[in-house]
Amino acid sequence: MHPDKNLESLTLTPAMFQVLLALGEEEKHGYAILKDVEDQTGGEVRLSTGTLYAIIKRLLSEGAIKECRNRPPADEDDQRRRYYRLTPVGRELAVAEAERMERLVATAREKHLLRRLHTA
Amino acid sequence: MEPPTASRADRIYQALLRLFPFDFRQDYQAEMEEVFREQRTHAEKNKMGLLRLWWETITGIFRTAPHEHLSILRQDTRFALRTLAKNPGYALVAVLTLALGIAVSSAIVSVVAAVLLRPLPYQNDSQLVVLHQVTSKASDGDVAFSVPEIKDYRSQTQSFSSLVEYHSMRFTLYSKDDATRVRAGVVSPGFFGMFGVKPVLGRDLTDADDQTGAPAVLLLSYEYWKQHCAGDPNIIGRTFQMNDRVHTVVGVLPPVPQYPDENDVYMPTSACPFRSAARANRDVHMMQMFGRLKFGQTPDNVRSDLGVVAARLVHDHPKSYPPEFGFTATSGLLRDELTNHARVTLWVLLAAAACLLLIACANVANLTLARMSARERELTVRTALGAGKGRLLRQLATESLIIGLAAAALGVWLASQSLHLLAAFTAGLTPRAREIHMDSTVLLVALAIAIGTSIFFGSVSALHSREDIGGGMKDGAPHTTAGRRRSRTRSLLVVCQVALSLVLLIGAGLLLRSLLKLQEVDPGFVPDRVLAMRMDLNWSKYPRRQQIRELGSRVLERIQSQPGVLSAAISSSYPLDPDNALGEGKNDFQIEGRPLRSGESPRIANSRAATPDYFKTLGIRLTQGRNFDASDNDKAPPVVVINQSMARRYWGNQSPIGCRITFDNAQTWHKIIGVVGDVHEFGPQLPAGYEAYFPYAQYPSLSAVLVRTDRDPMLIAIQLRQTIRDVDAQTAIANVKTLEQARQDAIASPRVLANLLGIFAALALTIAAAGVGGMLALAVNQRWHEIGVRITLGAKPRDVAGLIVRQGMTLVAAGLALGVLAAAALTRMMRSLLFEVRPLDAPTFAGVSLAVTAVALLACYLPARRALGIDPLLALRRE
Repeated sequence: MHPDKNLESLTLTPAMFQVLLALGEEEKHGYAILKDVEDQTGGEVRLSTGTLYAIIKRLLSEGAIKECRNRPPADEDDQRRRYYRLTPVGRELAVAEAERMERLVATAREKHLLRRLHTA
Repeated sequence: MEPPTASRADRIYQALLRLFPFDFRQDYQAEMEEVFREQRTHAEKNKMGLLRLWWETITGIFRTAPHEHLSILRQDTRFALRTLAKNPGYALVAVLTLALGIAVSSAIVSVVAAVLLRPLPYQNDSQLVVLHQVTSKASDGDVAFSVPEIKDYRSQTQSFSSLVEYHSMRFTLYSKDDATRVRAGVVSPGFFGMFGVKPVLGRDLTDADDQTGAPAVLLLSYEYWKQHCAGDPNIIGRTFQMNDRVHTVVGVLPPVPQYPDENDVYMPTSACPFRSAARANRDVHMMQMFGRLKFGQTPDNVRSDLGVVAARLVHDHPKSYPPEFGFTATSGLLRDELTNHARVTLWVLLAAAACLLLIACANVANLTLARMSARERELTVRTALGAGKGRLLRQLATESLIIGLAAAALGVWLASQSLHLLAAFTAGLTPRAREIHMDSTVLLVALAIAIGTSIFFGSVSALHSREDIGGGMKDGAPHTTAGRRRSRTRSLLVVCQVALSLVLLIGAGLLLRSLLKLQEVDPGFVPDRVLAMRMDLNWSKYPRRQQIRELGSRVLERIQSQPGVLSAAISSSYPLDPDNALGEGKNDFQIEGRPLRSGESPRIANSRAATPDYFKTLGIRLTQGRNFDASDNDKAPPVVVINQSMARRYWGNQSPIGCRITFDNAQTWHKIIGVVGDVHEFGPQLPAGYEAYFPYAQYPSLSAVLVRTDRDPMLIAIQLRQTIRDVDAQTAIANVKTLEQARQDAIASPRVLANLLGIFAALALTIAAAGVGGMLALAVNQRWHEIGVRITLGAKPRDVAGLIVRQGMTLVAAGLALGVLAAAALTRMMRSLLFEVRPLDAPTFAGVSLAVTAVALLACYLPARRALGIDPLLALRRE
């Protein structure tokens, strides 16, 4: 089945979105993803290994991420690690989610729930 | 808490990961362990950090693992449904076969649970007992209680916290233009209290209601109140005319099962005219007694307590309890006594249902194994594509479970649809039948059976695939070790099916032979086109015997003049009379000039009053002497006609004609004027007793009307009813039935049981035959090449067919041997259900074994024919 077919039915949880964000710039292994998620949320979201790999399994099966064949140079590599990267589908998904959030934030501002941004 | 050391931490984490499904672990376990190790290395810098890591890890696993299992289950279910849809024949046969097994077993479990396992719906039912007086005077050893005896047991026993009495009467309820017969329970105050039953409306019967001269009162049963009084909430205080008195309703009972009989109304003992008339007579036994044991009393205590009182009665009243009658008293648990007649039948049915379920399971297991052979390549390919063995086994188990659950749903539905039939059958055996219903327990049992059977047949197939998977890319499964093992298991299952169906068939065969013997019994009368009906007079209008005599003559005259009536008679009872089920007219008698010798058992006979045409109407043969005639009236000397058994027993080869007997201690001597043939009064299974017939004119007792007609008797039943009403509108008519119907009803239970077991056995045989045939068909398929080679090498068709038939019949023979042994061990429990047939009846065993062999041969024939049609060239090419 083509992964796109499932995209609409895929509900992105906040934790899944964080994983997609963590992979936004480059491919990463499991531990790096955990650390990134923790850093990018200021320590607010701490994923356990169980949660992380359940998310990875789901994103892999939906075609949002894939395992990379390119590995780091041998001296930096650990054979037990696996590296994951965003697919175009995953990127599209992350962008759509980010835009949705942006729209939400904009609405909140219009309703004066948030202070308006001062642009130069 | 100290965080675990590194290696221990690894082991704990690995153990926690086992909560994830096998496949998940296979994909991610190594990686997760590595990540966790890294997390731990970073967290070890601070103890709190480490504890927090453990907490988050453990809660994370507990949160995500169930989701993973669920998601796999969803996938497996979807996959299983798709696979089953591809092979709907297999799915349909498996579901139907199992559903049949589940339907039969859950229906019978419902009945057994309601009747034998659940406590009675009364408070502390283990304390409720039925009292018995035992004497050799009664044919079944049991006599009812008289009023003075009840008083004695109440005042002299120590073991009971409460003792109550009960008897059932038929009374007539009069309205303006109708008379209805109601079943009335006559009970002592405290009867319902002892069972823990409180009226839903009004009040219970009290001591004041039971005083002589107290206003007549009634308690209505819930069912009667709902059906005949439209559930009127203002019923309390309403009056009913019953016999000669006006009765006021004081209460309505709750909808509890009524024991020992189902009655329409209840009244206090003082209101029953028959009991009142016999209040001081120790020898009029008409009541039953129930008691509640005091706390801590054992059955042994109670028996010895009752025995002591009975011995005292024998000592104090030698005339009422002659020593030769061996009088004593005992008791039994109410719970057991209510189900005595049902117990063996229900256990036999349960065993039969279990057999059927096992056969169904074995059949589905066999089907599944056959299907596994066909799917071997598919499974191998999937393994090669990376599916784990655990994953495949899990998928196979899901398929089995889906079949099991579908079968359970269908089975429970079938069971619920047929339960009322089974309940109607059980009603003939125990009053507890009305408690039979489908409930959550039965649903759980059905579900458990479904899951259990799925695991059984699923695991049989799984076990045999475990080693196959990955090893069977090449065709010709029987050549592999697992293929051979699978074939052995299939053979074993076929042997079991044949054995179990043989057991069922032998059980059914025994019951059928027993039923045929029952039907062959000459009842001693000719039941065709004889109508019987019960008449209940308003006794208060006929206080004198002469009045009853005259009324009888008028009724008889009018009936005899009706078109279609060949002959008619009036009597106090008749053969298979439901109101005479206990043989209530049993009395002891003496023969003139032949006093009872010491040690001789008492002389007892059933007595009955009848008009002269009684024997002609019923077709009872006169063998000696003469019948009653008009001259045997109330002014003539008392006469009696006896039956052949009685004549043979007491006069041997001599003629009893002219001898005199007395039933009232020599106050009245009756001359024997005739001897008539024996009649099976209480059903064909019970021997004819000793019968004494008195002329109606000398003992007027207008209870039953018997009419022989020249047409279908039910056609003139309405007209006869009207004729009787024309003579006296206040006569209630009941039990209108042909004697042929009564005769069929008398063997209804054995007939239904034989039919039920017959149906089970037929189903079992069909399933087993399909099992044998199916297995051989598969064997032919697998031996295609070998058979082809044999044909090429010159094997004759007979040899080829013999090869296949031999393979099948070897298994059948093993099944037969096993089945005969099992049946020999099991049919013993049916002994009490059989009539003139021994549990090891050789003709039945032989006949059934032959029948099974014949069916099995037929089942072997089709695969053998297919083997004959094998084209050797094609077979060789196929390899």
